[in-house]
Amino acid sequence: MARKYREIGKAGWGYTAITTIVGFIYFSPVFWIILTAFKTRRDALAVPPKLFFTPTLDNFMSVFYRTSITTGNSQATDMGLYFFNSIFIAFTSVGLAIILGTLAAYAFSRFPLKGNDTYLFIILTTRMMPPIVVIIPIFLMFRLTGLAGSYWGIMLLYTAFNIPFSVWLIKSFFDELNPEIEDAARMDGSSERRVFFGFCIPQILAGLAATFVFGLILTWNEFLFALLLTGVETRTVPVAMARTLGGEVGVDYGLLAAIVTLFLIPIFFVTFLLQNQLLRGVTFGTVKK
Amino acid sequence: MSDLKVQNLRRTFGSVVALEDMNFDVAEGEFFCLLGPSSSGKTTTLRAIAGLEELDNGEVTFAGQDITDDPVQGRGMSMIFQTFALYPHLSVEANLAHPLRRAGLDSQSVRKRVGEVAELLRVTHTLKRKPTTLSGGEQQRVAIGRAIVQQPKLLLLDEPLTNLDAKLRHDMRAEFKRLHRELGMTMLYATPDQLEALTMGERVGVMRDGKVVAIGTPRELYETPQDKYVAEMVGSPPINFLTATGTADDQTSVPFLDHSVAAPGIKQDQPVTLGLRPHDIALANGGSPAATRFTGKIHLTEPLGDVTILDVNTRDITIKMVLREEVAAKLSVGEDIEISFDPKDLHIFDQSTGNRLNNDAGK
Repeated sequence: MARKYREIGKAGWGYTAITTIVGFIYFSPVFWIILTAFKTRRDALAVPPKLFFTPTLDNFMSVFYRTSITTGNSQATDMGLYFFNSIFIAFTSVGLAIILGTLAAYAFSRFPLKGNDTYLFIILTTRMMPPIVVIIPIFLMFRLTGLAGSYWGIMLLYTAFNIPFSVWLIKSFFDELNPEIEDAARMDGSSERRVFFGFCIPQILAGLAATFVFGLILTWNEFLFALLLTGVETRTVPVAMARTLGGEVGVDYGLLAAIVTLFLIPIFFVTFLLQNQLLRGVTFGTVKK
Repeated sequence: MSDLKVQNLRRTFGSVVALEDMNFDVAEGEFFCLLGPSSSGKTTTLRAIAGLEELDNGEVTFAGQDITDDPVQGRGMSMIFQTFALYPHLSVEANLAHPLRRAGLDSQSVRKRVGEVAELLRVTHTLKRKPTTLSGGEQQRVAIGRAIVQQPKLLLLDEPLTNLDAKLRHDMRAEFKRLHRELGMTMLYATPDQLEALTMGERVGVMRDGKVVAIGTPRELYETPQDKYVAEMVGSPPINFLTATGTADDQTSVPFLDHSVAAPGIKQDQPVTLGLRPHDIALANGGSPAATRFTGKIHLTEPLGDVTILDVNTRDITIKMVLREEVAAKLSVGEDIEISFDPKDLHIFDQSTGNRLNNDAGK
């Protein structure tokens, strides 16, 4: 290491100014969406955009309760269900992919088969084409097997999509470990199961957290498959969001912004919780210990 | 009886033969060193004994029982790894306690035993810390502690000093000897460093290409190496090799001498390699026989404090010799010196096979 890392808060004015500007550029669309969520319809469409306005929670209310234009009655929307669907489907399928991926990655790393690299390559090929290429066969398969519109269907699909990426990432974490530590544990009397759960897994927790967050973000935002393969009961938020476009009153930007803002919260929360692990996870193996 | 017997081990990795006809015995309570250059199969041998490596062939017998196919767990041996292999996610205390917990000791006995071992190895102050926060020497001692905590009958050590600096290596060599004396366990120590092997080993097995080619006490290996390879592996600075030919039966030429010298076991016109230890060459004095005197020019000196290693050029040959510091201090580079040796100190090896010819040479 050529020099020590700067201490936190001692980056100097130049770096601070540049990172602030870059951060602002990246964050500004998000900021704009969040502001819009608190605006009335008039404020939301104002040109130039208003930075100062009287905030309202009406948009958030109308995410869950809508007043019908024709009858004037207030009725609950299905948005609550869609949020539940998004959370349930994303967390379950990414969790499943991590569990299966970890087992596969450990096997690939520690008990290589003849043609190990070929298998790994084959696993990766499923991610090489754009998803839209396979959408028709998958749609037909789902129709045929009755998986279309079910939780199982979409979760299996997302799990399958997350596995290659999980296997590759997690295998690299296992490869980084010192195998003598596992041998030492064996000699100390640990069974193979204990070696795996007690010594390998704890050493790659940061990596698993990083893999989880990456997978979660990909799955959370997935639109195409969700649009075609979820039904009324299993619809996820991105699909529901798209369906607010058009309809009775044209584009309701305030409502859309409110949904987006709510949609940001779970992923923001997870990322925030795991941010320390995330940083260690993405730098795993790149920094010499 | 907890002696270890290793018979006909064979292990291949693809087309690479790591071990071939590996044979040796270790007596109960012995400190046995395996000395060999890297990739000569030392680590594979230790791992095979521990059960971490599958064997293509061969048998490992320990305490009179064939353990070749036994699982790794419960062999009653421990190993100290080159990388120390401490559990990074556990505290030092948990590291030391792990073998005991697996053995099913109750927590009170575990705590007591961990305390004893920490005391013995002077790591008590680190018990609550994580291994990565320790210095190299402390990590090494914790690794030793974890290996001896359940009092194994056999301790395997795989180049345990390679990752330490010179000063620590010196201290740890003494530490290993002390532990061996105090604990009385059988130790099998693999090292590429002849100094470690000679200073610690009661017996040393010299390895080459997956085989033990010579076994003996350090003195035997140093004084009567059975072939050229062993002569080269043992001794520092390294032995001087000279190409020569038998001038008559039991007589050999020496490249930088005009006369032949006595060389028992040699045949007329037999091409040989002569080995001459740097320590066996001295400055000539009145008593030195004229036949083995020669003049050389000092080419290079390496003062080591108590002694100095000199490279001396004579007739286009460079030979190494060792002189006491106070003698060497009076000499300077470029100076001509008259030196001699005793022909009895010559190690004579067949040039093609490398085998020792003067087996009867009593010193």
